[in-house]
Amino acid sequence: MKNIIYLVLGTVFGLLLSLAGATTFDYYVKLFLFQNMQLTRVIGSAVLVGVVGIWLMKRVQARAVMTGAKIIFDKKSAPKTLVFGSLLFGAGWAVTGSCPGSAPAMLGEGKLIILPVLLGVFVGTYAYGWIQNKLGSCGS
Amino acid sequence: MHQSIIWPAWLAGSGIGLLMVAFFWITGKQLGVSRAYGNFIALISKNPFFQQPDYVSNSWRIWFIVGIVIGGFIAAMIAHPGELVLNFDMGDAYNAILPTDLTLRMVVLFFGGVIMGVGARLAGGCTSGHVISGIPMMNGSSVLSGMLFFVGGIITMQFITRVLISS
Repeated sequence: MKNIIYLVLGTVFGLLLSLAGATTFDYYVKLFLFQNMQLTRVIGSAVLVGVVGIWLMKRVQARAVMTGAKIIFDKKSAPKTLVFGSLLFGAGWAVTGSCPGSAPAMLGEGKLIILPVLLGVFVGTYAYGWIQNKLGSCGS
Repeated sequence: MHQSIIWPAWLAGSGIGLLMVAFFWITGKQLGVSRAYGNFIALISKNPFFQQPDYVSNSWRIWFIVGIVIGGFIAAMIAHPGELVLNFDMGDAYNAILPTDLTLRMVVLFFGGVIMGVGARLAGGCTSGHVISGIPMMNGSSVLSGMLFFVGGIITMQFITRVLISS
């Protein structure tokens, strides 16, 4: 049952990404060349609504519906590699015209050109884990 | 290329913001996508890194990402009822900047995917975890990361269009 909830949330997310234009390759080029503001506005309005929503949840000390536990708004600590990783991610974002969230939605739409991108994300994720393991930083 | 249905940016963006808030409220967890790729790897890899609790449990991420695929499928079904168009098109903008040869283009996209995958892990999140949910949480590292995503994207795209293509 819990898994179905995540499946439904994912479905709505994928549908919204598609409606937002986040699965349309053209918008990414135009975003980074400042020719079209669609995705910039999408991200901006998502963040604005998010700010209000999170503020409200903190204010009412919301409890998670699925667990009944008080929601903890954990702040991720910044990894030392954040700056380099973010720039690298941005480069991949521009080259592929997709992101890890929109790529699966593109697959669902039948945009098969996203397959090498998805494969690449898997390989990149694996490479990171493989190197972390070699460096012996597992569990830290 | 088939036309998609595109909502006004403010409407779709607000929907995404609401979904992120609903996700938090329903599950108590922060919405994020890129870590899910590690959860998939954990299903087949014996590498100790992917056998850590974070990747072995939390199978919800897999369900969430499968949902995203279904969501894309539904969007395509709404746009063209009863007809799933499978294609390798990217549209005019990428046709102008990526190799026209399909094999070569797929190699470029593969390496784009690799640096996106590595980058997301090095940054500790992607556009979902850092931008859509991290920034509204007023997480300082997410604000920095989100800005640098754009910086990296803008530099790369300007480099491709001004240096690689025009030379």
